[in-house]
Amino acid sequence: MRNGNGTRRVVVTGMGAVTPIGLTVPELWEGVRQAKSGVSELGGFPLDDLKILIAAQIKNFDQKARLKHFQRDKIVIHADRYSWFAAAAADEAMRQSGLEIPVANPYRAACIVGSGAGGLVTYETAYRDLFIHNKRATHPLTLLRIIGSSASAHVGIEFGVKGPTFATCSACSTATHAIGLAFDYIRRDMVDVAIAGASESVINYGTMKAWQALHVLSPQGCFPFAKKRNGTVLGEGAGILVLEELEHAQKRGANILGELIGFGLTSDAKDMVNPGVEGPREAMRMALADAGLEPEKIDYLNAHGTATAINDKNETNAIKEVFGDHAYKLAISSTKSMHGHPLGAGGGIEATLCIKAMEENWVPPTTGLDEPDPDCDLDYVPNVGRDHDVTYTMSNSFAFGGLNTVLVFGPPPA
Amino acid sequence: MDEVATKIVEILKKHMKEPRDDISLSTELQDLSIESLDLAMIVFDIEDSFGIEIPYNANEEVEDFKTVGSVVDKVRELIENKDGSTAAAGA
Repeated sequence: MRNGNGTRRVVVTGMGAVTPIGLTVPELWEGVRQAKSGVSELGGFPLDDLKILIAAQIKNFDQKARLKHFQRDKIVIHADRYSWFAAAAADEAMRQSGLEIPVANPYRAACIVGSGAGGLVTYETAYRDLFIHNKRATHPLTLLRIIGSSASAHVGIEFGVKGPTFATCSACSTATHAIGLAFDYIRRDMVDVAIAGASESVINYGTMKAWQALHVLSPQGCFPFAKKRNGTVLGEGAGILVLEELEHAQKRGANILGELIGFGLTSDAKDMVNPGVEGPREAMRMALADAGLEPEKIDYLNAHGTATAINDKNETNAIKEVFGDHAYKLAISSTKSMHGHPLGAGGGIEATLCIKAMEENWVPPTTGLDEPDPDCDLDYVPNVGRDHDVTYTMSNSFAFGGLNTVLVFGPPPA
Repeated sequence: MDEVATKIVEILKKHMKEPRDDISLSTELQDLSIESLDLAMIVFDIEDSFGIEIPYNANEEVEDFKTVGSVVDKVRELIENKDGSTAAAGA
């Protein structure tokens, strides 16, 4: 089934997430409904001289329980934590999709699961072993745990995907690039099914030191668009979608959750840290044009909203340039206020929230927004979510290096 | 089975998906469905336990890894060499 422009249509038939406020999509949604905070005291490793002592860590994830039924991937339990999150989210998404496992037509399936940093926790452990504990060797699985494509390989093995399988890597845009690429592969008839998203787990001593040195972490919390915002809070997790060509999904009577209708991607080509206005604006325009949608049609926008001084202000300005007067009518929120900033995984988790918002006609809040920054004067759904008719949604991801990606979702085709 | 053999069987069982209790010195490793990656982890564990280094290349078929008994013999030999060289160094 093709669009007016002749391309095949792509729908979402499965979603999976692992986050600090919910270890599955239903739990995440419940967490968002309750405006839960995933931010807590940093722990799980020696804090030594760290100054930033909070993070949005996942504290009750039991990989053995969650992955024990894996049949084809025999070593996933020995993988890095980031691969566990990816495997768990992909498993949830695949089971919801009702697709056969392993996939029925393996060369017509893709598995694009990215990560901003891969197995950083393994890296640190290995280097501590070598340089501090003078161990004679690293653990034999160190290499496989570290490589940034290992999550995609693990997921691909378990679900029997034999088509395009690799990781994307674009910092905070990683998951959105993965989903966008998978969207494109299905549209141009390369595959019919794709597992796409990203996973991240980088919270350790070295990462905290590196982020601390960049001076962009908040010591208090993640308060996007608020006057008091003073940086982001590192998070971790995974967000993965199962995308499928419309007719392929309809033929097997799949439950269609939504349609992916637009993808925009640009680069600022300007600054490694400070996001621009132009690049994000053009990415949003590109996604709308791709979707063939007037800006006024978007009801809910899941903002990148990192709670850094410059992102929230520039994102607000970019939204105003794209949406004009509609910018003030649009419900916008940064769910990072609740699940923290899971870096590469952010766009995957936020895509699931966009689809849930359409499903339930309810928009998630931006928590911690007691007093808005005067430069951020749009409707960010402060503190409590609310009922809101949601037909079309947009999800923004803007990464370090000025790498911008935007997805647009619509309702399940009638 | 002596201490070295018992320890090695313990390590093998730790890395088996379905550990068995009927492992003897004549058991072939391939009958334990140990794959190359498992072998790398087993070698790592044995090296750690006995403080030795096992010359092993995953690209080569190695006689020393044919049966449980051949692994035990190899490890015993490496332990003796190590002790020997330590004694020599001490002399």
